[in-house]
Formats: sequence, C-alpha cells, structure tokens
Amino acid sequence: MKTLANAVTRRIRLLLIVLISAAIVHILATFTAPMMAGSTPYVRLAQTAPLHAFTVLPPVTPQSQPLPFLGPDARYAVCRYDTGRGAVAINARLPAKGWSLSLYSPEGDNTYTTLGQDGQQAVVALLLTPAADRFLGLTPEANGRVSDAQSALSLPGGRGLAVIRAPDRGLAYRRETEAILAKATCTSKPF
Amino acid sequence: MLELTLKKFRKRLVAISARVIEACLVAAAILALGLFSSWYLVEAGTRLTTAKVGPWVTWTSAARPDADPYTRAHFANAGTLAVSSEVQRTYVAKTDSAGERLHSSCEYLIDGRFPKAEWWSIVVFDQRGRLIPNAAERHAYTSQTVALATNGTFTMAMAREARAGNWLPTGGAGRLAVVLTLVEPRAPDSTIVGDEGGLPVIRKVKCR
Repeated sequence: MKTLANAVTRRIRLLLIVLISAAIVHILATFTAPMMAGSTPYVRLAQTAPLHAFTVLPPVTPQSQPLPFLGPDARYAVCRYDTGRGAVAINARLPAKGWSLSLYSPEGDNTYTTLGQDGQQAVVALLLTPAADRFLGLTPEANGRVSDAQSALSLPGGRGLAVIRAPDRGLAYRRETEAILAKATCTSKPF
Repeated sequence: MLELTLKKFRKRLVAISARVIEACLVAAAILALGLFSSWYLVEAGTRLTTAKVGPWVTWTSAARPDADPYTRAHFANAGTLAVSSEVQRTYVAKTDSAGERLHSSCEYLIDGRFPKAEWWSIVVFDQRGRLIPNAAERHAYTSQTVALATNGTFTMAMAREARAGNWLPTGGAGRLAVVLTLVEPRAPDSTIVGDEGGLPVIRKVKCR
C-alpha cells in the first residue's frame, strides 16, 4: 500500500516538474523569438538600403520581392538609420491617402507611423535623437546657432528602418510616385 | 563470489540505465511540450491575440510597440514589414468562407462591398508569402484599381485561367494566402475588428 502511494506521489511530482519546466521553456522560446529571428526586414534590407539615404525599391514582382508578404500594391522607399553618431533627420512628402511613413526597430517592431491625406501636401519632418545619456558634443543652441530641428517631431532613435509606402496606382502614375519617393531625405546630423 | 559481484554490478547498471532513459524522456517531453506550445501560439495565435471574421484572421496588436510577446514573435518570425494595427488592419485568409484550404487547383470568387477604409488592397500570395508568377503580371487590386459594379460592390475571380473583370491569377502555386489590407479603417468603433462594413466573402466555384 505504502509502495503504491509512493509510486503515485512520484508520478505526480514528475508530472508537475514536466509541466513547470515546459512552461519555462515555452516562455523563454516565446520571449527570445524576436532576438533569434535571423531574417528580420532590417537584416534582409541591409544589402539594399544604405545607411542614411532613402533607396526607392523597384516595383515588387515575383522576381524582386525582398520580403515575404510584401505586396506589389505599393512602392517603397527604405532608409537604414543609426543615431549612434548623431541625430537623424527624415523629411518626406505624403501627398495622398494610402501613403505612409513608418519606423521599424531592427527586431521588426513598428515604432512610429504617420499617414498621408488627400488634398493636403503633408510634409513630414522627423528628428530621431540619440539616447539621452550619450554626449555627442555641444548642441547648436550652446554654440550660438539656431537649431533647425525645432520644427521637426523628435523621436527617440537607435538603429532601424524608415519606410515610405506609396500606393501603386499603375504605370501611368509610376514616374510621379517615384519622383516623390526619390525626394525623401534621411540624413545624419551630428551636433 | 565473483558471480555474485557480477550480478550486483549488472543490477546496478540496469537501474542506472533506466534512470538515464527516464531522465532523457522527461527532458524530451519538457522540450517538446514547451517548444511546440510556443510555436503553435506564435504561428496560429489565440483568441487573445487574433480575431477571426469569416475566413479572415488579423493579429489585433500587430506591430505595436506594446504588443504581447506572441504577436512580437509572430511578426519577427514572419520577417514582414507590418504596420501598426492602430493605423492599418491586415487580414489574412488561408481558407474560403466554408473553412476549406485555399488552393490554386480551385477557382474562387471574392465578393464584397467597398470596405470602410481610406485605402484598401487585396493581394494573393502562395502560402509562404511569395508572389505568384503569371503572364498578366497581376497580383493585387486596390481601392484605386478594382472595377466596381454600379451598386458599389465588387467581385474578384481567383483562378488559374483568365476570367473577365477583376481576375487574380493563381497559377500552380498550391496553397494560397489572400491578404486584405485596410489603411485607416473607418469602423464605428475602431476597437471592433471586422466592423469595417463587412469583409469580403470567399466562395469556391469549382475545383479541377
């Protein structure tokens, strides 16, 4: 009788150990997945998108599809940024509905998005600033100059991707869309 | 004497082997259970992370900085450039409205009204998210390119062979994934997923 009770207790204890350990493995696997993912958009587009310059990607086709589920319904301009050496200024025009400017972390999180509106010549000016605890020299104000960053929306920086999406309205509008995308700027601004 | 010692040694060896095998089985069970449950919840989602409207599935916290760990892991593994669900809602359909897997050997009709969104698109991919090569070079329709009926509705044929009107070629892609993107959904209550004026229905017409 005692042996049977011992065996049952042992089995229950083993089951609990398995369940608790499996829960720990589950949590670790889920939380580390974004860090373990090797083919994030940041990594995949690193070859195509140089640092601090917008690159207009060619129309998405089966032969030139840089990312999975990236549709040909839009045209894209991509800039890889890093605020490690100073602030990064992003300027873009989003002339109509469907246009958007998004910022992504290297892990693929969408940290900021702004949208275009019909009839409004929306010009977006962003200033991505380095982490507050980094000293990168005196500010323009401290040097007696007026900073041009005051009209821009300041966002915390780091490394990431800036992506402009423009709806592809067909061949007739392609040149106009590409011209607007090509005018977008993404420049490093050391103090 | 020697025989007795050998017997004892063999008994101990058997006991140790049994314990090692048990420990290996327990470790394998722990890893399998933990990794499989994580993979399943990251790939398929749950009611806490996804919402289903007919055949359309959307991750409710897609690409938000405050997204739950399952949503973050899902989009990191997918390697896609998802836009925050606060401004854009992306639905994926891998089955028709009857719940059967979408396949290029079948022909489908996508019927719907103009969704309540500032801009929308429907794109067809294979199950791994690759565009399907076709001579017409057609992979998507948007709110700017779709041909509408006079009552404001649209019908899209998803088929291997050419069809009149809105036609999305599926070639020989095998299993399909249709992605419906709504930019700035104008739902009466933006927290209600699928309340953008009714999402399109996917009807199977016939299979080869």
